[in-house]
Amino acid sequence: MNGVDPLLRVRDLKVGYEVPGDLIVPVAGVSFDLNPHEVVGLVGDAGSGKSTTALALMGLARPPGKILGGSVEFGGRDLLTLPDAEIRAIRGRDIGIIVQNPRAALNPMLRVGRQIGFAYRAHNDATEAAARAHAIEMLRLVGINDPERRVEAYAHELSGGMAQRALIAMALSSTPKLLIADEPTSGLDVTIQAQFLDEMWQTVQKTGSAMLLVTQELGVIANFCDRVLVLHKGRIVEDAPVRQFFAEPQHPYSQEVLRFYHERASGYPEQVTGGAGFLRTDALTKHFPLRNSDKVVQAVDKVTISVAKGEAVGLVGESGSGKTTVGRCLMRLEHPTAGAVILDGQDITALDAAQMRKMRSRMQIVFQDPFDSVNPRWTIADILDEPLRVHEGGDKAARRERAVAALKQVDLDPSLMIAKPRDLGASTLQRINIARALICNPDFVVLDEPTSVLAPRARNSLIALLARLQKELGISYLFISHDLTTVRYLCQRVAVMYLGQIVEEGSVEQVFTAPQHPYSRALLSAHLMPDPTNRRVDNPVPAALEGEIPSPIDVPKGCYLASRCPHVTDACRANPQVLTDLGQGRAVRCERVVSGEISLQTEAHV
Amino acid sequence: MLLRYITRRMLIGVVQLFCLVIAVFFLIRLLPADPVSRLVGLNSSPEGYEQAARQLGLDRPLFEQLSIYLGLSPDIAPGLLQGSLGVSWATGSTVGSEIANFLPVTLQLITLAFILAFIISIPVGMLGALNPGKAVDKGVFVYSLFAGSQPEFWWGLLFVYVFYFQLGVAPAPLGQLSPMTFPPESVTGFMLIDTLIAGEPAKFLEALHHLMMPVITLAFILSGPIIKMVRQNMLRALQSDFVLYANLIGLPRKRVARYALRAAMGPSMTLIGILYGFMLSGAVLVESVFSLGGIGQYAIRSVLAFDYPAIQGVVLVITAISLVVYLLLDLIHAAIDPRIAY
Amino acid sequence: MPDQVQDLLLDESTYVPPVRKADWLMRIGVSIVALVIFLAIFGPHIGPYDPTRTTIRIAVPPPGLTEIPGLLMGWIGGTLDYSPHWMGTDANGYDIFSRVIAAPRTDLKIALLANLLSLITGVFFGLVAGYWRNWGTELLIRVSDVLQSFPVFIMAMVLVALAGRSATNIIIALAFVYTPIYLRLTRAEVLGQTSRGFVEAARAMGNSELSIALRHVLPNSLTPALIQSSVTIGFAILLTAGLSFVGAGVRPPTPEWGLMISTGANQIVLGEWWPSVFPGLAISLTVFGFAVLGNALERRYERG
Repeated sequence: MNGVDPLLRVRDLKVGYEVPGDLIVPVAGVSFDLNPHEVVGLVGDAGSGKSTTALALMGLARPPGKILGGSVEFGGRDLLTLPDAEIRAIRGRDIGIIVQNPRAALNPMLRVGRQIGFAYRAHNDATEAAARAHAIEMLRLVGINDPERRVEAYAHELSGGMAQRALIAMALSSTPKLLIADEPTSGLDVTIQAQFLDEMWQTVQKTGSAMLLVTQELGVIANFCDRVLVLHKGRIVEDAPVRQFFAEPQHPYSQEVLRFYHERASGYPEQVTGGAGFLRTDALTKHFPLRNSDKVVQAVDKVTISVAKGEAVGLVGESGSGKTTVGRCLMRLEHPTAGAVILDGQDITALDAAQMRKMRSRMQIVFQDPFDSVNPRWTIADILDEPLRVHEGGDKAARRERAVAALKQVDLDPSLMIAKPRDLGASTLQRINIARALICNPDFVVLDEPTSVLAPRARNSLIALLARLQKELGISYLFISHDLTTVRYLCQRVAVMYLGQIVEEGSVEQVFTAPQHPYSRALLSAHLMPDPTNRRVDNPVPAALEGEIPSPIDVPKGCYLASRCPHVTDACRANPQVLTDLGQGRAVRCERVVSGEISLQTEAHV
Repeated sequence: MLLRYITRRMLIGVVQLFCLVIAVFFLIRLLPADPVSRLVGLNSSPEGYEQAARQLGLDRPLFEQLSIYLGLSPDIAPGLLQGSLGVSWATGSTVGSEIANFLPVTLQLITLAFILAFIISIPVGMLGALNPGKAVDKGVFVYSLFAGSQPEFWWGLLFVYVFYFQLGVAPAPLGQLSPMTFPPESVTGFMLIDTLIAGEPAKFLEALHHLMMPVITLAFILSGPIIKMVRQNMLRALQSDFVLYANLIGLPRKRVARYALRAAMGPSMTLIGILYGFMLSGAVLVESVFSLGGIGQYAIRSVLAFDYPAIQGVVLVITAISLVVYLLLDLIHAAIDPRIAY
Repeated sequence: MPDQVQDLLLDESTYVPPVRKADWLMRIGVSIVALVIFLAIFGPHIGPYDPTRTTIRIAVPPPGLTEIPGLLMGWIGGTLDYSPHWMGTDANGYDIFSRVIAAPRTDLKIALLANLLSLITGVFFGLVAGYWRNWGTELLIRVSDVLQSFPVFIMAMVLVALAGRSATNIIIALAFVYTPIYLRLTRAEVLGQTSRGFVEAARAMGNSELSIALRHVLPNSLTPALIQSSVTIGFAILLTAGLSFVGAGVRPPTPEWGLMISTGANQIVLGEWWPSVFPGLAISLTVFGFAVLGNALERRYERG
């Protein structure tokens, strides 16, 4: 942007906090400009200080942090030197912000409408009644249907997506000149995320504000930003227009970050032949009873999947799809309400407790949260020893050797044996979880979102490890994930789940390049490709799905997607849909697709 | 919905109370103490002993005694179902009337003590929370630990020594009023109210004067845990995400402070209930030092005299009041914090 | 392997256990508690007088500040007729100093045993009630609730007075009072722990339920109870003193701080402050020490 004065000028911003005997400075001298009408991405690893920087722009630091120095010039004044009353006037009015965890940001004790009203009245003269009316209008504007009712809701009664919209309503109440969005979509479903970012971008364009979008996801940066700032070790190490950043990153750290995206394998994992049905489910169903009610939560509805020996099958879906429950039923951590789980010919749902315990050495699970999965008081040695002790017993020294071998197998140093979980990072700990799962040589491993809490860079190395281990050991995986990139690199086949049912299945190549079911299509088109030459905002995709997922307590009579599908007809609403085999391992649950009434084309996005 | 919750809580409370009454009933009868000897002396004749035992109803089988106590045999004697708590073995008056005399004294004392404790503790606790880590905060914190671990009876005595004996500003620890003063007619049982009803402001002031030290003593002890709780809850609220966000969107300071205060109040309610319940029986020590004649002293007297009906009556009444207080505070908590679902 | 990822691992590959320091507040707590323990062991023997025997010198005030240096010299040199009464004597002629330092044995013994008893009982039942959820454990919790709604002080009085004023009965009475607290504390912690991932992971691994309860859940659920112990011991001392003060605690002439305050209470109005003030000071500092220690432990081992 030339000739125009920057909207915000940050110079040498420093934020730090004291620990006994030391001063830690996560933000060590950050400088950048923001121009009007610009969308700028701020990217960096977790813990790099992105959120701290965002907060510091408003003159705030989360305790015990303190702003140590620097200047933030806005409208000709340094925000960091303004008296309290004046900067409060600027916050919320001229600079708006939305944060990462929307439900935690809302006051849990006040109704949402009142809070929006307070935000409005903080910067505008208005009566309570006027403020309430304004709140209703804002909620309607940000896409919340039935705003008159929602305005009376409490924070805990809203879903993540709705709460985030409420925050936007608050932030945009007074048309700010700058909108700061701090990881606004982490934790939201993929389809909601795409919807949301689209809407935010359009609003920003309409009002002509600038936006600072703080995120770890390169896909978000590529598709929505004009310029990129890279934060590393407390400083801005690169500041480039988005295309240049992706094509020719200058700083070694940026190059590192982009490396995995440039190194994308072109092919899909080879299909596995033979050994089919090594692990399969047979009309697996799981209902959870509701307290004080006759109703049930229908989590999983007659799901039949099969995994061959040495194959990795992906199970994808958003929150509420039931994929995690399927994984848990496979491990008999939940008892299926109906249906069977068959491993190598044996129905494990029919085994008694003692037999099941023996069977468990053949099937293992890796959970999503690496820290939650291990006993915080145990050392790594204890953690790795446990499965050996339970299943094999024997001599302690021999077990220890096997534990060390397991660590080496996942590329970790044996000196970690004496460490405790809290001293290690998430990706290291997740490797240890994998080592623990493999230590008794199981035939089959369920991986339940193993990379979700990891930083994008760590995800890729973990997937590479899993792929390698599968080739070396010949184990089968059921890979549960909402992150399509990881599924694409690891799995041969994939099943897409929605509200407890499988809506489409086939090989990864088939499903990802040419999804047939409207939901799969929406899911795939919502996936943000880190390719700035083909930005989503430049080539807008027609809104694939509206609204939100129905409740699993009151499942619709006909097609579950009927309330959101752009191709819906009355027949869809009335008739329950059946998963129909299309040949070549392909299946779709949609009458209209099977009959050829609708034929969906999508570009390869993953 | 609300009504159902209250009714359910009250039902559970009644059941709890009932179990407690029965438990206490059996407990004291199963202990080796001998109330009959207490009454007739250790050197009575066997006939005298038997007669006394019959008088107290202790010659009957255990379950018959229980059913009489509960009011299931009204022809023999009135019981709980008829609203009677029995007759005191030591004095001969009904337990109900005695408790009605003594209970208000304690209630008056602890209510005043709580009010004073709040007036001191909330600002002090907030002072600490608003300046975390600084000297003020450390001081507040150490004070709260100190005050909450003190023997109140000793402090009562200390105050008597300093303020009565040395400085002469406080009256002698001889009861609610000076022994020379004729007490007003007992209408509510609460001395302060009764003096006003009787239109005797001088006695009101005197009663207040006599209450001064016991109330200060109790308030001091209470200030420990209350400050600790206010400070902790306030700190947590001030560091919460939504307070940070409220600052981020530019809400005025006062509004943010109110956000934090409301969040801090909710979890405090449970502790207040527990403290109140504890004080109902714990105030006995201060009552003793100042000879106030409250339910605690009545309890001591009854226990040392092995006066079973009185003991049972005291336990029942105190527990009932505690349960009501708990329920009230839980309701207030739910009113403050909508996340608490019924 | 790419450098950056190697960095992630390198930082953790050479493991150095972190160092934890104690702060000044904790040191104060530890010192006081250590002193009390020392006195509990040696107290009755190191005083100038037998704590259970009276002397002929009745209601003697403690020496004035100006007299102390001279007395000290005399005492060390052995030139005095009789050992000074550093804290004076009470109306019966007991030397207060000897009794003040002898009392910790009584109070601490009662408090420690009561705490141990209620800790073991409370934790055991708390674990059972929290881990296995069925009608039996529900009943257990209801019983515990009823126990907890007993008016604390009165029930302790009742139990001791009616069962006989002995240290054992006080211990049992206190255990009654504190067990429900430990039960509730442990159960809440157990409930939280059983929903943690590692419990599920242990189950998925093939551990038996009992093994999980004992190996995983119990060790992780003990912390709040152990931290609470310090505070509980302090309050047990307070309760014992209070009970003795009203005459429902230990029997005279056992040296016990509350009992000493009670005998001295009548003299306060006469201006004889020392029989009550010194023992009270001792209680005040002791319970404070335990409270501080408990808080320091809480801060150190708090789940972050």
